[in-house]
Amino acid sequence: MTMDRRTVLGMGGAVAAGVLLAPGVQLIAAPPSNETSAAGSQRWAMLVDVNKCTPGCTACLDACRKENNVPLFGDPARDVHWIRKVEVQDKEHRRAPFTLPVLCNHCENPPCVHVCPTLASFIRKDGIVLIDEHRCIGCRYCMIACPYKARSLVYFSTRFPKDGNPRVPIRAKGVVEKCTFCVHRVDDGQLPACVETCQGSGQGAMIFGDINDPQSEIAQRVKTLRTETIRADLGLKPHVHYQGL
Amino acid sequence: MISNYTAIEGQSFRYWILLGVLGGFFLLGLGAFIYMEVYGHGVSNMTNQVVWGTPHVFAISLLVMASGALNLASMATVFAAKQYKQFRRFSAFLAIVLLVGGLSVLLLDLGRPDRLLLTMIHMNFRSMFTWNVFLYSGFTVLCFLYLWSMFEHEKYVKIAGSAAFAGRLILTTGTGSIFGVIHAREVFYSAITAPSFIAVSLTSGTSICLMLLVATFHYTSRPMDMRLVHGMRNMLTFFTLLVFYLFVIEKFTKYYAPAYYDVESWILAGPYSTLYWGGVIALGLLAPLVILFNPRSGNTLGGIMAAAALSILGEFAFVAHTLIAGQAYPLQLFPGHDISSIFLDGQSAVYSPSLVEILLGLGGVALAGILYLLGIRFFRLLPKKAEAPDEWHPWSP
Ligand code: SF4
Ligand code: SF4
Repeated sequence: MTMDRRTVLGMGGAVAAGVLLAPGVQLIAAPPSNETSAAGSQRWAMLVDVNKCTPGCTACLDACRKENNVPLFGDPARDVHWIRKVEVQDKEHRRAPFTLPVLCNHCENPPCVHVCPTLASFIRKDGIVLIDEHRCIGCRYCMIACPYKARSLVYFSTRFPKDGNPRVPIRAKGVVEKCTFCVHRVDDGQLPACVETCQGSGQGAMIFGDINDPQSEIAQRVKTLRTETIRADLGLKPHVHYQGL
Repeated sequence: MISNYTAIEGQSFRYWILLGVLGGFFLLGLGAFIYMEVYGHGVSNMTNQVVWGTPHVFAISLLVMASGALNLASMATVFAAKQYKQFRRFSAFLAIVLLVGGLSVLLLDLGRPDRLLLTMIHMNFRSMFTWNVFLYSGFTVLCFLYLWSMFEHEKYVKIAGSAAFAGRLILTTGTGSIFGVIHAREVFYSAITAPSFIAVSLTSGTSICLMLLVATFHYTSRPMDMRLVHGMRNMLTFFTLLVFYLFVIEKFTKYYAPAYYDVESWILAGPYSTLYWGGVIALGLLAPLVILFNPRSGNTLGGIMAAAALSILGEFAFVAHTLIAGQAYPLQLFPGHDISSIFLDGQSAVYSPSLVEILLGLGGVALAGILYLLGIRFFRLLPKKAEAPDEWHPWSP
């Protein structure tokens, strides 16, 4: 039997054309990109005083894990980390090693947002970079693009922890997650959990605020002290600043 | 010159066995997908550092090969190499089936494949991925148009074929750019990444056409003029030299910049250097060249087939190396410093393929194989016999 090739070719072509055109048609009806109530004049930022961050302290890490129900699977290569302590040592060992917390930098030019095919990764008007966990397809392109290793894929099923924080939903397996600057707290006028803990039980190394507000402590310190961002050369304009690097 | 096209009979025991074996691999691939879907990517060996593993290697290799498979048709339509006109249908059809095989692996490896339609509803035109959605579907449409014009309206062949030719260059540029545009990764970030992908698509695409044509003609007892095989061998030789040239330029340029010393030394002597030297350079480039330039092996069917198979192996090694080594190289948060953390900062990632990933990838290859076998059985894609013009004498070593 030889199929009527005209029909089959036609059908194949039509399916392929449909796949090509459908996105365009949908595009017209697509909702506007993530609108939020965040104010465009604000720009949330963090400042870490590296001199105050002591090597053994993990107060910020613990607070983050608890606040955001961040799972630990017991597999170092696949655990989820929203914030981690990195130890830095110059190759010639001329300086004493130092540690600092590294988290999502909420970049002003975020490559993770630029590469996300579904607009699941987006940047709010106040500069907080978030992931719409219902829209993420788990393609992991954002993880390839982020130079700070700030994102983790959820490799296993997760369960809501017994003493978990009800304000933060857990993320399903197969999507990507990362630090949100504790957006739920910031929107309520609170500090991110890591900052609050660092100021309380930790070493007081972190501050957080609106860097666009000239009166804020963070704006003042960034203006008067020598602060840096990690890999500023990449041009992403990170919003986690470090003092004493 | 072209004898009539016919579908193959497809009644032989061998045909059904082949179909059965491929069907088995396809089902295993499907099983692997379901397993990973139910238990999560934790069942693979991917990590938060090597986030794209073996399925991506298979998918991208197939996609790159798909674009190269169209080359034979382009040679006839765009570059007026009349002797390949008889393979145009085969070549365009093969491009489609390889594309389908590759795409299916790519899609089934998503963390949330159930949300696939979202890529069509919410689009980010800054993303190379979004562009690739258009490029892949656009390329398929162009190949279909091309096939349709070959079957029904010869007068449109030139235009459809030229469009498909342009489409495939853009397509592979798009695939290469998925990596080439990533500023954060020293191993891929380069303007030469996309052209290298195109060159590799030409070697692997020509090789797969050569191997499938020779095998199909042999098993269906259709005669093929050996000069056609030699012509395709010459193309393969030329493209392999092109790949070699691009690789040399890339290394030369990077070694000129001290900023790249660390990463380049890591590539040439680090944990993935065996894949590079053994897979990409020795098996994928040097071995085929040695075989093809040797007056004895370069003129025999066995030698040419071996060189083609090695080129395909080399393509997979190239994609695997770009992808896996590209991710395994630790991100340089503080260039010039050593770093460490509980998130394995500063360490080269350790990755080896897991069975479930390999099965998923092979499932895509099997799907392409099944579609090919069905295609040549139901459509008149291949000539009854492959002849070359009398006055045409391809160069031989
Ligand atoms: S640090 Fe990474 S994840 Fe965070 S905004 Fe920048 S690029 Fe995106
Ligand atoms: S994994 Fe999710 S957030 Fe990341 S690029 Fe893909 S869709 Fe966007």
